Amino acid sequence: MTDVFSIAYRPMWAIIWPALTALFILCMGKRPDIRESGTLMGSLTLCFTVLSMTPVVLKNGPIQFTWFNLLPGIDFAFRVDALGLIFATTSSCLWILVSVYSIGYMRTLKEHAQTRFYFSFAAALLGAIGIAFAANLVTMFIFYEILTISTYPLVAHEESPEAISAGHKYLAYLLGGGVFFLIAILMTYHWAGTTDFGYQGILKPALGAASQFSLQIVFFCFLLGFAKAAWMPVHAWLPSAMVAPTPVSALLHAVAVVKAGVFGIIRIVCHIYGIDLMQTLGLGLVLAVIAAVTIVVANFYAIGQNNLKRMLAYSTINQLSFIILGVALLSPMSVTGAILHIPFHGFMKITLFLCAGAITAITGIKTISEMKGVGRVMPITMGAFVIGAFGMCGAPPLAGFISKWHIALGAVESGQLFFLLIICAGSLLDVVYFFPVIRTAFFAKMPAYETLDIDLEPKIELYTEKKPVIENKRPLYLFMIVPLAVTAIFSIVYCLFPDTFGIYALAQMAVKNTFGGM
Amino acid sequence: MVQQLPAIILVTPLVTSIIIFFTGWRYKRLAYPLTLIAMSVCLLSSVFILTGVINNGQLQYLLGGWPPPWGIEYRVDHLNAIMLILVSLLGLLTATHAKKSIEQELPERTTLFWSLFILLITGLLGICITGDLFNLFVLLEVASLSGYALIAMGEKKALYASFRYIIIGTIGASFYLLGVGHLYIATGSLNMADLAQLLPELLHSKTILVGFAFILLGLCIKMAIFPMHVWLPDAYTYAPSAVSAAVAPLMTKVMAYVMIRVMFTVFQPEFSIMLLRVTDIMVWSGTFAILFGAVMALSQNDFKRMLSYIIVAEIGYIIGGIGVANAIALKGAIFHIVNDAMMMTCLFFVAGHIMHQTGGHRIDDFKGMFKTMPVTAAIFTVGALAIIGVPPTCGFFSKWYLLLGGIKAQQWGFVAALLICTLINVALFFRVFDKGLFIHTHGNGPAHTDFTGKPLAGEAPLTMLIPAFSLALVIILAGVFNQFIVNDVISFAIPLGF
Repeated sequence: MTDVFSIAYRPMWAIIWPALTALFILCMGKRPDIRESGTLMGSLTLCFTVLSMTPVVLKNGPIQFTWFNLLPGIDFAFRVDALGLIFATTSSCLWILVSVYSIGYMRTLKEHAQTRFYFSFAAALLGAIGIAFAANLVTMFIFYEILTISTYPLVAHEESPEAISAGHKYLAYLLGGGVFFLIAILMTYHWAGTTDFGYQGILKPALGAASQFSLQIVFFCFLLGFAKAAWMPVHAWLPSAMVAPTPVSALLHAVAVVKAGVFGIIRIVCHIYGIDLMQTLGLGLVLAVIAAVTIVVANFYAIGQNNLKRMLAYSTINQLSFIILGVALLSPMSVTGAILHIPFHGFMKITLFLCAGAITAITGIKTISEMKGVGRVMPITMGAFVIGAFGMCGAPPLAGFISKWHIALGAVESGQLFFLLIICAGSLLDVVYFFPVIRTAFFAKMPAYETLDIDLEPKIELYTEKKPVIENKRPLYLFMIVPLAVTAIFSIVYCLFPDTFGIYALAQMAVKNTFGGM
Repeated sequence: MVQQLPAIILVTPLVTSIIIFFTGWRYKRLAYPLTLIAMSVCLLSSVFILTGVINNGQLQYLLGGWPPPWGIEYRVDHLNAIMLILVSLLGLLTATHAKKSIEQELPERTTLFWSLFILLITGLLGICITGDLFNLFVLLEVASLSGYALIAMGEKKALYASFRYIIIGTIGASFYLLGVGHLYIATGSLNMADLAQLLPELLHSKTILVGFAFILLGLCIKMAIFPMHVWLPDAYTYAPSAVSAAVAPLMTKVMAYVMIRVMFTVFQPEFSIMLLRVTDIMVWSGTFAILFGAVMALSQNDFKRMLSYIIVAEIGYIIGGIGVANAIALKGAIFHIVNDAMMMTCLFFVAGHIMHQTGGHRIDDFKGMFKTMPVTAAIFTVGALAIIGVPPTCGFFSKWYLLLGGIKAQQWGFVAALLICTLINVALFFRVFDKGLFIHTHGNGPAHTDFTGKPLAGEAPLTMLIPAFSLALVIILAGVFNQFIVNDVISFAIPLGF
């Protein structure tokens, strides 16, 4: 029995825990307290399982686990390498915090169908972990589809016509993308005879058999397949999906789902096509241009939003493209930055979403213009929001600085200075839409604002200075406040000690593997 | 004992059918256990046949001891063996499922139903096992006639639908018979193995060509290949739900098997592919069938009718896979015959549950299913995901082989049609999911009532749930362990010459 729990079987357990949790939740649907503790236990176990693999991977290299044969030459197999471990660590750590948060959020709002919610959540985590650890494209595809389908009931959770149409949009983009993903996998298999990820890419030998043009087409099929990365123009599902309950937007649409998309793109660029082939085909530049356009356009969209969650969604689109840009620059530094941005952006963006959710759950406010004075009644929440917002802009004491610094260095390293400009401009534009929020929340008495939003006058009276701090009024609220404070603290910790949980070492290892000796 | 199995598998249900018919006047209760016993015997013997075939190769049985060219020969290889297992397994499950359903829908005619049902399965098993073209025709008629009668038992419009099916089906069978006649004139033999040896010398004879064309045409009509599908949707929609579950998935799939048999065993693959180039036509008709079936399914409000059109599309998958005509695509086509029969049966079971609990089979009747009938909903989810082709259900893997074969043969039209159909299936089934999942959509009434305040149905009875649940399990297992099925059985079932 001890054998089954040895390190070689850990990848299997990392897949089994969320699946068991999901089943447990389904069985305990009638008893909310046991159900929620099941979620918490599941998330803790998963997190420890994932973290326990980090030192081993750093020391001995990837852990390979083959379950069974799926198709000729394709196994249902997992391979825990540095890159996958970063994504898995991010998702599993944040799942604990979001589980705690969900308890506060869902109970405060007395949401319906909570069992379905928690079940789908655990199933989505199963998908995310599976994507992180998949050893080949087909295994990845399986979990990719699981992730898509399990998040559908979450997006449409509210069951209002708006929510259901958002759910349909979500499916249309993501399952539609899945079809392109499938065809790209088939073509890869047709050319290379395998779909296992290789450190230097697996498609390079196929260059003779397949023309350059067809390889480029297949690359775009892959890109369309990763519509989860929300690059423009396949981003429209993400802002619509914001009708989902906030824990969903927080963990799935800021971390698990969208990061699965960019993670997939990194895998394709580095481990299917390989850096050399990307340069030969000139795809790096194309991808970089797509990312650059997305960064700028998404920022402009974000500036125009009044709904806080929609604004955060556009900010997510923008930040995801930073990751894509980092990979597309194809230099070791920028890829390091891109990989680091996965966990760092995850922690910062989840802080922002959790803040938005806490504000909605406690005060009912959803739009930015209503947020006058919120900073005074909910100082911890808005404090965390400020930290997150600074992180988005890449200001130094926060994690965002580290990753953006690497991406910018990469732009210099590869001599593509135009993209350095984009990175700076993108970060500056972040300031443009985050700082008004902070200003509204803390300095609501500013005369200019009061004359501007006369129609919202009655709301302001509710939160005048006399109102006491409300965020710790009920113990239930603490379930929301504590997780967002923790993620905010982590956003700072990651700047000062980027190697927390071995993230930085893992990123360096992943890059070293891809580029050979660095 | 193993030597006698091919006879046992046919004689047992045939005799049972007659016994049920005659004892049914007095002992009505006897029919159900007798059916189950007969079906279990069939399943067991087909399992033994398969293991026998895997271990010892082809199995031969001479009916009445007459040697092949004159007597009727039953010849079982890997391809037959899978079909036998498929038919007898689905027969057993459908029989288990049917009890409650027919007690509700056909309370007066249960005896008749059981005896016809077993006759249908007999016919289908016979088609799969026989090695004689004329014997195949006879058994085809046995299966078809009992099928017509069963369908006619259904709802109000079933009589008309069944009549239309009789006319078109008989034309199809006549074409087949005519084709067999041509072959008999030219060669003097009806035995498949014998014909396979005689035909290569006569391939340029016009008689043989006409015979081949007639046989294929007849099979196409029976198989409901677009545009010869018109009889199918009505017949399967209005039939009793237990009958739809038995006839709809099996009849067309067994015909697909016959088509593979005739094209690649009786005639040489080179003849079908190189000389006549029928495969090109088949790819295109498959492509159109897929697109047409999918689009038509999208415009239906009735769940069973939607499933019927999906069958038209799925037949397109299979016929296209045969038409692509390389080993991978053919593997995919054979695997898809198996998978599709299981997936469709599973979904028709669900339709049966809904029919039994709510009295209708429209998509609207699925309202609130996930709350009121959670097990049925889970089964439906598995079936639907399999049709869409989401891994790890088996539907994904046959689609994988079909797509890969299409890419290898550079049949881009077929590949595109498969992918488009996948997308349309998503739209189809998520429409039903929406109905089942989201009960708060319309108004704010309590969850367990609809507009009129009528309480929604509860879970279906156990005799209906167990077969459906086990089938859903098989669908997932067949996906996960598809390599065993494909490598140990299907790759041997690929006809020689590939």
